[in-house]
Amino acid sequence: MNRTLAFAKRNLVEMSRDTLSYIFCVVFPIVMLIVMSVVNQSIPLEAGMTIFRIDNLLGGIIVFGHTFLMLFTALTVSQDRYGSFLVRLYASPMKSRNFTNGYILPMILIGVLQSLVSVAAALIISFIVGYDLNIGGLLLAIIAAIPSSVMFISIGLIFGTLFNRNSAPGLCSVIISLGSFIGGIWFDAEGIGGVIGKVCKCFPFIYATKSVRSVINLDLSMEAFGLPIIVTSVVAIVFLALSAILFSTKMKADLS
Amino acid sequence: MDAIYAADLTKRYKDKTAVDGISFSVKEGECLALLGVNGAGKTTTIRMLSCLSEPNGGEAKIFGHSVKSEKDEVKKLVGISTQDTAVAENLTVEENLLFMTSLYLEKKDCKERTEEIIKMFHLKEVRNKKAKTLSGGWKRKLSIAMAIIGRPKVLFLDEPTLGLDVLARRELWKEIEALKSSMTIILTTHYMEEAESLSDRIAIMINGKIKAEGSLEELEKMTGQTGLENVFVNIAEQ
Repeated sequence: MNRTLAFAKRNLVEMSRDTLSYIFCVVFPIVMLIVMSVVNQSIPLEAGMTIFRIDNLLGGIIVFGHTFLMLFTALTVSQDRYGSFLVRLYASPMKSRNFTNGYILPMILIGVLQSLVSVAAALIISFIVGYDLNIGGLLLAIIAAIPSSVMFISIGLIFGTLFNRNSAPGLCSVIISLGSFIGGIWFDAEGIGGVIGKVCKCFPFIYATKSVRSVINLDLSMEAFGLPIIVTSVVAIVFLALSAILFSTKMKADLS
Repeated sequence: MDAIYAADLTKRYKDKTAVDGISFSVKEGECLALLGVNGAGKTTTIRMLSCLSEPNGGEAKIFGHSVKSEKDEVKKLVGISTQDTAVAENLTVEENLLFMTSLYLEKKDCKERTEEIIKMFHLKEVRNKKAKTLSGGWKRKLSIAMAIIGRPKVLFLDEPTLGLDVLARRELWKEIEALKSSMTIILTTHYMEEAESLSDRIAIMINGKIKAEGSLEELEKMTGQTGLENVFVNIAEQ
């Protein structure tokens, strides 16, 4: 545990000293929250489009922010693998689980902080636009968003393990674009139905968005929250296990 | 008991044999230089001895513990400073050292050991500087300091002064010289004067094999040459 925490601390400090991590993990989602709130103000009520209303928007933005955790996990892991630093650690008494837990734990913490900042920004915006957000729903959303963050962090760990520091961020960009599109962050994916609707339901991203959105509005029904959070959690656990297995396999291959 | 013992140690990569059945031993407190040109198999040898690479054949033991079957024990006994400076770039010198101590020592001992190392390697003036802002010489010093922070009984130094200017190299030699009394060292190098100056014994590696081994005097006597460079050329041309 001591080794895991030491490595987690190192990763947290390394990330906290990288300006880009603040820009992508905090500033960018907040800017999107503000911009989309401004867009929402321009949409006439008669259009009946509520996707950018602050309660709906916040859930999407929280999940959108998590996609950048994936990017930074992939960057950290692939960068460590590129240099000799990981080789030095392989020669130390650290085990594979110390590495994977050490990469994942600080990212979960950053994910929670990211959600907190987004919630705080959404509260300020809700005061400005005169929309009431439920505080209980907001606090629950921070907890309900954890499976989503674990899912994206695990994908980042998989990419960082399998690909080099040039390819891994590129692949993450694909998932960021794909995830925000078919995850229904910027449009009502369920509402449009058809092929696109079906495709969206084949990927876990839409369930992550839906579970956080529902809990913000305190809609804890099975259909709105129960099933989506179960799907997101199961996918997160599967990716988490897969990332740990892949890292361990890759470590053994590096040491063969 | 030998600190390091290797018998018929072999490493093959597909169609290339990087280390070809080498056998040697190093006594406790001794410094052995593995001397050879690039691609001679020096780095592969110390990778196998530090459990970073699995041997295809033969056996090696560190203080009686097999590098093949007792990896956890071996890892507690060895420290390695790789060719590239393996440091966490965004961490300060002190943070890098504290991080490494926490991998080996109890939490209560980390601070004290870090201070000890800072003093031993004269790192005080750069302790709060981020590793990425350090010069090559300071980085290499930090890298070696990180390798010995867990109080290893055996230290592997892979090309410790590669790419350093003459002053930084001489400065680092002093640090390595100071370590010699307290641990067994294997250093790889292709600088003749480095092997001559720092080691008690020299093993000359060519194409994955140890072609000759002994003190400089013994090697000179063996080849009838004077000076390590002439000895090396003579052995390499045989």
